[in-house]
Amino acid sequence: MLQVTINGQSHAFAEGLTINEALHSLGTEVPTLCHDDRLEPYGSCRLCSVEVTGLGGLVTACNTQLREGMEILTHSPAVQGVRKTLLGLLAKNYPAEAAAQFPDKQFHRYLREYGVPAGGSRTAPPPAVPFMQDASHPYIHVDMAQCVTCYRCVRICEEVQGQFVWKAWHRGDQTRILPVRGTTLLDGGCVSCGACVDTCPSGALEDITVLARGLPTEWTKTICSYCGTGCEVNVGTRNGAITTIRPSLDGPSNHGHACVKGRYSFDYVYAKDRITSPMIRRDGSWQKVGWPEVNQFIADRLLETAKQHGPDSIGLLSSARGTNEENYVAQKFARVVLGTNNIDCCARVCHSPTAAAMKMTLGTGAATNTLDDIELAKTILVCGANPTDGHPVTGARLKQAARKGAHLIIVDPRHIELCDYATLHLQLHAGTNVVLFNALGAAILDEGLADEEFIRTRLTEFAEYRDFIREFLPEKVASVCGVPAGKIREAARLYATAKPSLSVHGLGMTEHIQGTEGIMALVNLALLTGNIGKPGTGINPLRGQNNVQGAPHMGCEPKLLAGYVPLTENRPRFEAAWRVPIPTHPGLNMIDMMDAAAAGKLKILWSIGYDIVMTNPNMHATRRAMEQLDLVIVQDLFLNETAKEFGDVFLPAASSFEKDGTFMNGERRLQRVRRAALPQGEARSDWEIVCDLAKLMGRGEHFAYESAEQIWDEVRSLWPEGAGISYARMDKLGGLQWPCFDENDPGTTVMHATEFTHGKTTPLRRIDYVAPPVLLSKEFPFLLTTGRNLYQYNAATQTARTPNDRLHATDCLQLAPVDARRLGLREGELVRLRSEQGSADLPVQLSDHVKPGEVYTTFHSTRVFLNQITTSHRDRYTKTPEYKVTAVRIEKLAPVAAK
Amino acid sequence: MPAPQQRRLIFAHIDEPGYTRDLACYRKHGGYEVMKRAFARPPAELIDEVKKSGLRGRGGAGFSCGLKWTLVDRKSGKPIYLIVNADESEPGTFKDRYILHQDPHQLLEGMMITCWANNVQQAYIYIRGEMPHGARILETAIAEARAANLCGPNILGTNYSCEIYVHRGAGAYICGEETGLIESLEGKRPYPRIKPPYFPAVLGLYQCPTIVNNVETLCHVKHIADMGGDAYAQIGTPNNTGTRLLCVSGHVRRPGYYEFEVGKITMGQLLNEVCGGPLPGRTFKAVIPGGSSAKVLRFGEKFKIKQKDGSVVELGVEDLPMDFDTLAAAGTMGGSGGVIVMDDSTDMVAALANINAFYAHESCGQCTPCREGSLWMKKISSRMVHGEARPEDGELIRTVADQIAGRTICAFGEACSWPTQSFVAKFGEEFKGYASAPKSTGSMPLV
Ligand SMILES: Cc1cc2nc3c(=O)[nH]c(=O)nc-3n(C[C@H](O)[C@H](O)[C@H](O)COP(=O)(O)O)c2cc1C
Ligand code: SF4
Ligand code: SF4
Ligand code: SF4
Ligand code: FES
Repeated sequence: MLQVTINGQSHAFAEGLTINEALHSLGTEVPTLCHDDRLEPYGSCRLCSVEVTGLGGLVTACNTQLREGMEILTHSPAVQGVRKTLLGLLAKNYPAEAAAQFPDKQFHRYLREYGVPAGGSRTAPPPAVPFMQDASHPYIHVDMAQCVTCYRCVRICEEVQGQFVWKAWHRGDQTRILPVRGTTLLDGGCVSCGACVDTCPSGALEDITVLARGLPTEWTKTICSYCGTGCEVNVGTRNGAITTIRPSLDGPSNHGHACVKGRYSFDYVYAKDRITSPMIRRDGSWQKVGWPEVNQFIADRLLETAKQHGPDSIGLLSSARGTNEENYVAQKFARVVLGTNNIDCCARVCHSPTAAAMKMTLGTGAATNTLDDIELAKTILVCGANPTDGHPVTGARLKQAARKGAHLIIVDPRHIELCDYATLHLQLHAGTNVVLFNALGAAILDEGLADEEFIRTRLTEFAEYRDFIREFLPEKVASVCGVPAGKIREAARLYATAKPSLSVHGLGMTEHIQGTEGIMALVNLALLTGNIGKPGTGINPLRGQNNVQGAPHMGCEPKLLAGYVPLTENRPRFEAAWRVPIPTHPGLNMIDMMDAAAAGKLKILWSIGYDIVMTNPNMHATRRAMEQLDLVIVQDLFLNETAKEFGDVFLPAASSFEKDGTFMNGERRLQRVRRAALPQGEARSDWEIVCDLAKLMGRGEHFAYESAEQIWDEVRSLWPEGAGISYARMDKLGGLQWPCFDENDPGTTVMHATEFTHGKTTPLRRIDYVAPPVLLSKEFPFLLTTGRNLYQYNAATQTARTPNDRLHATDCLQLAPVDARRLGLREGELVRLRSEQGSADLPVQLSDHVKPGEVYTTFHSTRVFLNQITTSHRDRYTKTPEYKVTAVRIEKLAPVAAK
Repeated sequence: MPAPQQRRLIFAHIDEPGYTRDLACYRKHGGYEVMKRAFARPPAELIDEVKKSGLRGRGGAGFSCGLKWTLVDRKSGKPIYLIVNADESEPGTFKDRYILHQDPHQLLEGMMITCWANNVQQAYIYIRGEMPHGARILETAIAEARAANLCGPNILGTNYSCEIYVHRGAGAYICGEETGLIESLEGKRPYPRIKPPYFPAVLGLYQCPTIVNNVETLCHVKHIADMGGDAYAQIGTPNNTGTRLLCVSGHVRRPGYYEFEVGKITMGQLLNEVCGGPLPGRTFKAVIPGGSSAKVLRFGEKFKIKQKDGSVVELGVEDLPMDFDTLAAAGTMGGSGGVIVMDDSTDMVAALANINAFYAHESCGQCTPCREGSLWMKKISSRMVHGEARPEDGELIRTVADQIAGRTICAFGEACSWPTQSFVAKFGEEFKGYASAPKSTGSMPLV
């Protein structure tokens, strides 16, 4: 402890604090114009100067370490004088209008507190070196006449986002903050994360929504509704409408950062085509009806169909976009009200293989570690994921880790942005994951780099694995997976020796016929090298959607109940709690439901927040199945493609800004979702809609919830690993990671430290390679893989209804320049992509990021409808579709007249 | 008292007829012999010699060279770098360039001894962008030395290797500030780093311990290794040892560069005898003794200087010995050795306006007081000479200067405010005159 005197009072502080941090802890504020807790201390504005007796003069509080015996004066006449002069220098030509418009901006507040008037005007003639003005970005307005040259934007873009968009140009008082190239933010490579706007103390950088709608009057802390990173954000509202969203500084998963989706893409809530009243389609046209009418209509049809065809003729699909509470209520509805286990959710099309594989090998189907472990790892394996687009906040962290010296090893058929920061890129052929991971395992053993101790104490079937894996020595399989043997060995050495090593993976791992097996092969690597159960290690799926970890976990799974436990063993426990019998036989999963519909066995499909037509692969097969259904109920914000083509009933749902509940992010963290605005029109929370129907169908006593919290309390009474996670604790601690057994349990950051969830040891699995059935032919000579773009989100239901559409207007076909030359195609030319399943038209984009013979596209656009061509192949364990590999050919389209 | 003779240690061969800058000539004059002997000694012994020598840095701050080397973090396990500061951009300073142009091997030998003493395996010479010729000369000299196994791999058959690289600046004064220099060498904008924590001796180039020394300083190291620290300390005066290069410019009959034992010559001797006195019909008015950043001295001023024995003597400008401590006691500094002389024809306001224009142009722009303040000082002084002064300007300009010095990230803050502070304090009547009846009387070019 250090004894320090501040303004005459003696205080004790822990060592290692700066003066500013110490002042902060006392609630004493000094002006800090160039400081931001997210950034390294910079010390350039000098406003935080304080007097330290004995040090002979002033020191800057933000970067000076506290030392024993310091006597600090924070507001002596000397320092006040300095601050006033400095502010005067900054305010000489500062536009007075700006200070008047937003008087509480940090810089404006300082001017007011120190009685310094802004001496300039917006109408003043521009200086010799003009200030940048840019109104071309859809979200960010730039007016550098208001810049006070604190460099926070430059530094946050570099130190947090890792984009290096801003740069200081010229020098002295002519210093100008400008994009590193070009004249606009987007020219400079901006990814619209909004970090620079968030930190700017003057409003030189400002959200366009704030300028247009005014500053928020209320703030609500909640969780972003896009990817599985689970960023905590503050939603700002004014007169009940959202005007801005800012990342929360103490967000446990994002530490004050966000991406364009979480930060800016919220205007879909107010989209013109949002449906805000219930509707029934009669004689081919949609009619608005009231809630009582629609509920009665649905109840009648459900009861009737169940009576006639049995409860298993009805299927319910829930969504990762809903809260845990809503998903829990949905599966309970299926099981208790309808009496079927036909309940599934959209995890089926993404990480089901991860959950299944990790459950089998480690005992728990969820991330072993925490995102904070990224900063602890020395080697990071990034497999089949493109985090800078798909999980941008995690992507930014990975970049920063690499900048600070961690080794990145990228496993991806394509050159992704992180490759620029990586030590190694293993550019495998799409669909050969199992081969590559086995080869890595073989190399680790061949070079004697395995963790003997871990093998002895925690693994079984090692000898069998060792014999099996020899067939996969890099030299033997390099030609199969397309990665040179030397590179495989180099990667194996890094992963096994530059420890701790951690792995993150995405859908490039799961969406294959060997999706589940690929994950098991990956888990083997962690086991062999002891990279599990310790900080900075583990297998960490980057979950695609905000609550895709939670939705199946709540029991939206045909064979599993809440807590991700098997139906067969746990049925009695749930029957006792629910006081109703649960059907004994497992239900249909989403893919089975499509097959059952095609076969005429499934009659009614109720889809909550899931656009089946747009999302499922092989759209033609999907369409044929949907056509057979008697009744299709769509519960969503918009008339999505499924509703448009096949919907009979539409139920308007509340968006995640309009309801309470919890989300479970990819690191097993439960966080609170809070209502920031009232639902539009007659829209309602999904759980309210479902509960009302349950009541109407005579099961009211099982659905008598009055709040999301009551639902949650029922969940945790049935799920021991989540028992300690109460709303009160989440509110206080900002989120908790399960397992968390009681209310004194701090939660679990690292799993499997001394034993696996299912026991002390686990076997090494021997995973053989099964080549994907699509083999290239003369007719279909290109291998197509798919992925996501930063600006759009999955089926783009939300993002296409925001200005993001200007940032990523359509899907493009990325093609290697040599292939383009061979086919006589030019940049931007429209082509038809044809597979055995169908075709889609989209423009060509020449790119070095794909290998010759392979092509790539995103799958967001309804204009392109990419899933018209993807296949019906499925993961052998979980039936997750193989979106990632399709054989295609590229057809030149006849030239059309210029538009 | 007649002026002492020059003592040419560093400049022994500068301008010597027949002396060329190639390796052969340097070796003919005994070049690299000192280094050979030094390489036979344990490094710690050489550091000790430098400590004993009392050598103080010749780049501006006069910081003890031995102490600087002692502060280097040798426990971190990281490589230690040496950087030669050849950015020489302080107005009025033109000494390092003669070493670089006429005797580059002297610098290289000094560097190699320094590298050996400090176990440095990579050394950089950061040379001012406006000296392309110097950079080429250095490249040639390094190539010669490397071919002769005097630097590069396995020097002189030992298992010690050390490479020297030349890096050219791009025309910014701030690149002479050591941490700005380091940033620039790393390929970034030369924004000086905050200290703490970025002291070069601990977190310098690439966050590794780094020694930054001036060109002249490192040449002295060679002579110290040659004669021994004790012998070197006999030259000059106590605590102000050795010789130093002085560059005299401005209103004297014989401007130029000279080398004297530190403290053995007074300002009067230097200007009147060595440099031939004022121009015909003129008298000295003011002198800046150590580059434009040093505070100006006014002829006629008296200074009370404390002597070693504790007594206090009163000295005029002419009587001041040209050493670090006396000039500091007189409120200014020996700085970079650039002596700028102004005679009675000089308009001090215009002179200051010229200096202020330089600093406003060179402020890197990183910290608020300097970025905004240097511009403001320039604006006020230039509006004075343009006849647009306001009555409060004389006082205002000084207030601004007072708010910069001591409030900035790097010493540029002092460098840019000391001229204003001292000009206004010492020539206040001229500033008042401008504020009330603005008109230029002088011969300084207006900016
Ligand atoms: C604004 C500024 C400019 C400087 N320019 C130079 C320069 O051009 N050459 C130089 O040797 N030192 C210069 N210095 C001093 C260096 O920062 C550093 O102190 C010096 O190189 C150390 O070498 P020495 O100890 O051998 O003197 C400058 C300092 C400041 C604050
Ligand atoms: S929005 Fe993000 S990426 Fe764009 S300039 Fe600002 S910090 Fe950089
Ligand atoms: S734009 Fe804003 S954050 Fe960037 S330097 Fe200017 S005032 Fe600071
Ligand atoms: S004092 Fe001036 S030169 Fe030094 S860092 Fe600050 S702005 Fe740059
Ligand atoms: S906040 Fe400390 S110098 Fe800016």
